[in-house]
Amino acid sequence: MADQGLNKVLPLRTAVSTSAGLASAAVNFLAVVDVAMYMGGRSAWLAILVAGVLILLTASNFSELNGMFPSAASIRVWTRRGLNDQVSLVASLVYATTVVFVIAADGFVLGHAFQAALPAVPGILWVVLILAVTAYVNLRGIKIAAAVQDSNAFFLLGTLIVISLLVVFKQPTMALGPLFHFGPNWFQGIALGVFIFVGFEWVSPLAEEFYDARAIPRGMYIALGIIAVAFGLFALALTDILPNAGVLARSVIPQLIVGQKALGALGFWWMALITLTTAMTTFNGGLVTASRFVYALARERSLPASWARLNDRLVPSRTLLGLAFVALCLSVLVYLSGQYEVLINAGAGVESLMYALTSVLVFSLRRREPKRNRPFHAFWYPIVPGIVAVIFLGLALGALTTAVGTSQTPWALIFVGLLTAVATLYVAFGLPRKKRQGKLASSAKQLLERGR
Amino acid sequence: MALMTILQAFVEKCNQHERLRAMNREWSRTVVIWAEDTGSRYWLRSVAGELQAGQGPPEEEANMEIRADGETLEAVFSGRLTPTEPYNQGDLMVRGSQDDLFRLDVITLMIWGE
Repeated sequence: MADQGLNKVLPLRTAVSTSAGLASAAVNFLAVVDVAMYMGGRSAWLAILVAGVLILLTASNFSELNGMFPSAASIRVWTRRGLNDQVSLVASLVYATTVVFVIAADGFVLGHAFQAALPAVPGILWVVLILAVTAYVNLRGIKIAAAVQDSNAFFLLGTLIVISLLVVFKQPTMALGPLFHFGPNWFQGIALGVFIFVGFEWVSPLAEEFYDARAIPRGMYIALGIIAVAFGLFALALTDILPNAGVLARSVIPQLIVGQKALGALGFWWMALITLTTAMTTFNGGLVTASRFVYALARERSLPASWARLNDRLVPSRTLLGLAFVALCLSVLVYLSGQYEVLINAGAGVESLMYALTSVLVFSLRRREPKRNRPFHAFWYPIVPGIVAVIFLGLALGALTTAVGTSQTPWALIFVGLLTAVATLYVAFGLPRKKRQGKLASSAKQLLERGR
Repeated sequence: MALMTILQAFVEKCNQHERLRAMNREWSRTVVIWAEDTGSRYWLRSVAGELQAGQGPPEEEANMEIRADGETLEAVFSGRLTPTEPYNQGDLMVRGSQDDLFRLDVITLMIWGE
């Protein structure tokens, strides 16, 4: 069958910028602080690099799955084909909620950055204001151009590289030993390092818009390299300024500290501006992605049909407002409690579980659909996908069971466990009942139509 | 019923829908539809809110491509299935922009409801 070209396709540059853009959240600055704490200080860059290499292996799983089923419904389709509908739905629901975690965590970073920059205005007001403006803009159907969204990624990562290099070169020659020292909690350090790359794979849902199936894998690999360099250098600069892990632990505005050290007041305000634009793009991208995902689940009748209702501007308004409200509540809760690390641990844990799941799907689909076209094959099957599954399962456990502050309670594990339990109960009991009712209503409608 | 007949009925339903016509006034697109099991090709064209359908390759370059087996396509364009159902199962594959895909889904939502 001859293939037919489309008149508009996306270039590789968009795959890179989207992948880097979706991974670039403001909360990554705090994730670097956490990584540095667990690694014992100066070797944080090494944990980020190791996490980056592991993520590269995961990217090869995503590339195979994405090549087989280039779909905006990505993980939903792959898990459904590779396992079954129930697991797919639970995994998709839990996966989508990480978007809300990241919004809330970015709200925390935004609030603290502006509390430090403009102490007269309470930080929480910035969170409420920016989230409300983003929700309003989306409800009105005004689209923030993808180019604006994506260019912020290059703006952020480019700035991080330049500012971090300025700090590193300003410092006197450092001893090499601490740079390669793995502290006692290095495993948790690497597990949380994964969080810095979280979201790189959300370029997969754009697969339908690329003519060249290789654009997504290439885009992901290039983006991962840029992220690893930018945040690795940022970790190096930050631990240069604050080598003491105890002092680091109290820092909630590391990006402003590094900016100030590099360029004085200009660097401080530059980084405050970047925090604002990055948080805004996270809020916007998160709300758009999550609301469309919920809309799609409602349209396939897996969630209440009313969640697919559109306003006059074709926006799933009820869903968007609901998600914005949940994100706002979580943001306020996290801001007031200061427990942002629970969200970082939960996000890293859920994503690591998803990365392990991609390996399971690669195995399963090779068995179930051996003849399906695979434009890209996962690296060294079955060895690498097997290793990825084991490592990321371990990293997920590491991230979810990491204690926060003085408490020994693994709140992230409890949080994600509850979320998964609710999703599972809904899929096991709520959904079959909903589908039965839907069938009855549909039969009644058909009878009525026949009677007319 | 043959897919072409179903597409014609779909087009007619869309063109009779005032709100849909108004919504699509600015949306000019050509969509190619491949029935993969038979190798048959069809097209849908939206020009200033008016929809047209045809068989074979379209005259102009397409903006979007939809692929599925004939049975799935018939179910989708006759309103027996929402497009999202086979799409989320990987039985209906699309190439094109997400916004256009969303628009097509909204069209089916407006003519057949939830």
